[in-house]
Amino acid sequence: MEEGAEKHKKHLAMVERLSKRSQRRSENAESSSSILSQLSQLKSSIESQLAQSLSSDPSDPSKLKLHFQNISQSISELEQLVAQNSYSLPSYDVRTSLKTVSDLKNSLDLLTAQLIPRKKFSFKNKPTATKKDDSAIPQPKQLSTLNSDFPTHHSPGFANKTSELLVADFRDSQVGEFTLSDLDSCQVRIIGSVRALFVHRLKNSTLYVGPVTGSVHIEDVHACVFVIASHQIRIHAATKSDFYLRVRTRPIIEDTNAVRFAPYCLTYPGIEEDLRAASLHDETGNWTNVDDFRWLRAVQSPNWSVLPENERVGIVDISNFQNGDNDL
Amino acid sequence: MGLLSIIRKIKRKEKEMRILMVGLDNSGKTTIVLKINGEDTSVISPTLGFNIKTITYQKYTLNIWDVGGQKTIRSYWRNYFEQTDGLVWVVDSSDLRRLDDCKLELDNLLKEERLSGASLLILANKQDIKGVLTPEEIAKVLNLEAMDKSRHWQIVGCSAYTGEGLLEGFDWLVQDIASRIYMLD
Ligand SMILES: Nc1nc2c(ncn2[C@@H]2O[C@H](COP(=O)(O)OP(=O)(O)OP(=O)(O)O)[C@@H](O)[C@H]2O)c(=O)[nH]1
Ligand SMILES: [Mg+2]
Repeated sequence: MEEGAEKHKKHLAMVERLSKRSQRRSENAESSSSILSQLSQLKSSIESQLAQSLSSDPSDPSKLKLHFQNISQSISELEQLVAQNSYSLPSYDVRTSLKTVSDLKNSLDLLTAQLIPRKKFSFKNKPTATKKDDSAIPQPKQLSTLNSDFPTHHSPGFANKTSELLVADFRDSQVGEFTLSDLDSCQVRIIGSVRALFVHRLKNSTLYVGPVTGSVHIEDVHACVFVIASHQIRIHAATKSDFYLRVRTRPIIEDTNAVRFAPYCLTYPGIEEDLRAASLHDETGNWTNVDDFRWLRAVQSPNWSVLPENERVGIVDISNFQNGDNDL
Repeated sequence: MGLLSIIRKIKRKEKEMRILMVGLDNSGKTTIVLKINGEDTSVISPTLGFNIKTITYQKYTLNIWDVGGQKTIRSYWRNYFEQTDGLVWVVDSSDLRRLDDCKLELDNLLKEERLSGASLLILANKQDIKGVLTPEEIAKVLNLEAMDKSRHWQIVGCSAYTGEGLLEGFDWLVQDIASRIYMLD
């Protein structure tokens, strides 16, 4: 009895918290345009201050120093403003702001080096040019020793297969991470729930996966179809592939092109319970909120698109092995 | 460059520590920060830029900078090096394939002169998953013993899910920084 009441209280508290949070989100959405205008005002004021320093009196370095200190403070303010709002600003705005801060810092450094004689306030005179060269030299020795030291661990998964149907059923067992690598022309079915999924070097393959309670990390895939439900998904170096997703957070792509997205479309006996247990039973609509890390502009990234409805596969049932082969 | 650090030093409040959290994408940085701050960790997006959290820890105020680890934004890490007291390098102990990437990025970071004074905490995260690499194994792969002798460092196994190991790690980090910079009080 008491336990039930306690649970109920906790639940209410959680609902309360969540509703407050979504409220805050929408307030944030409204104010994000005012934050953006603040940001751009700060930016142009810093830029004009930077420009002013060029026309300042070179015979009075202390004045110039003060001027630079002010600029530096303004840049810090700008940076703080971006940081404080990075949860709520649209992603491309966060990234352009990040770049703005970085560019402004660079300009300030350049101007400082140019206009104020270095020795006046640098305590040690380090030859900076040679330092740069050092960091550019790769150190192949460390890399090559790495593999021999590599502990021999086996993570569960499928690797190095061609033209096979690969099935894993975790409905009655608990598994941590699962790894798929170097598959060509395979169909993979993962029934039940896993905590994390790593996918690496897949070609012409189809992947059907039950709920992943943590994250999915995909790298280097070509001409594949993925049907995945998970909390997070990160896609790297993918080309010509289709993703049918249900995700709790925004999917991200990097160095990827010609990929298309659609909603999750998988079924097998018991999938409803598995999805519920993984908090993935509700469609979040995030399958279409893709963030492209290589695309800084507000207009739609050319690297991904929504898969047209008439080209989508229907609901895929992976409980029947024979029929499934035709899906490939 | 020198200018910025001078100003930051003046502005610096007492008992404040600046902590930089970095590591490959997906290693669990944001989850760790939210967990130690007692926040909900069930819905976390991959970090597009960076977040700052100000956390009171013992008698100190920690300004924790959590910077995204995606390849595209690793080049921005350098913007956060200045005045860093503590560096937290987070490793996904279940991601065997990218350990060489992880080592390469860490090696690059440790070459940075601006980070040379920072205490280094390496968190071998996701220890709650069965069969992952232990902190000792990760120390070996990352060749931590070969690090510059002047560096203060520690590796701790942890789980952002259960919270295990997080306090141990941050206790060490905060004590180590405190003994260096607040020695006089
Ligand atoms: N099993 C397990 N999963 C974890 C743990 N910590 C984090 N995760 C999961 O790992 C994934 C990545 O976590 P994030 O905190 O977003 O990782 P991040 O390092 O901030 O990633 P970026 O922002 O992209 O750099 C999420 O799905 C987390 O739920 C842990 O201790 N154990
Ligand atoms: Mg993050």
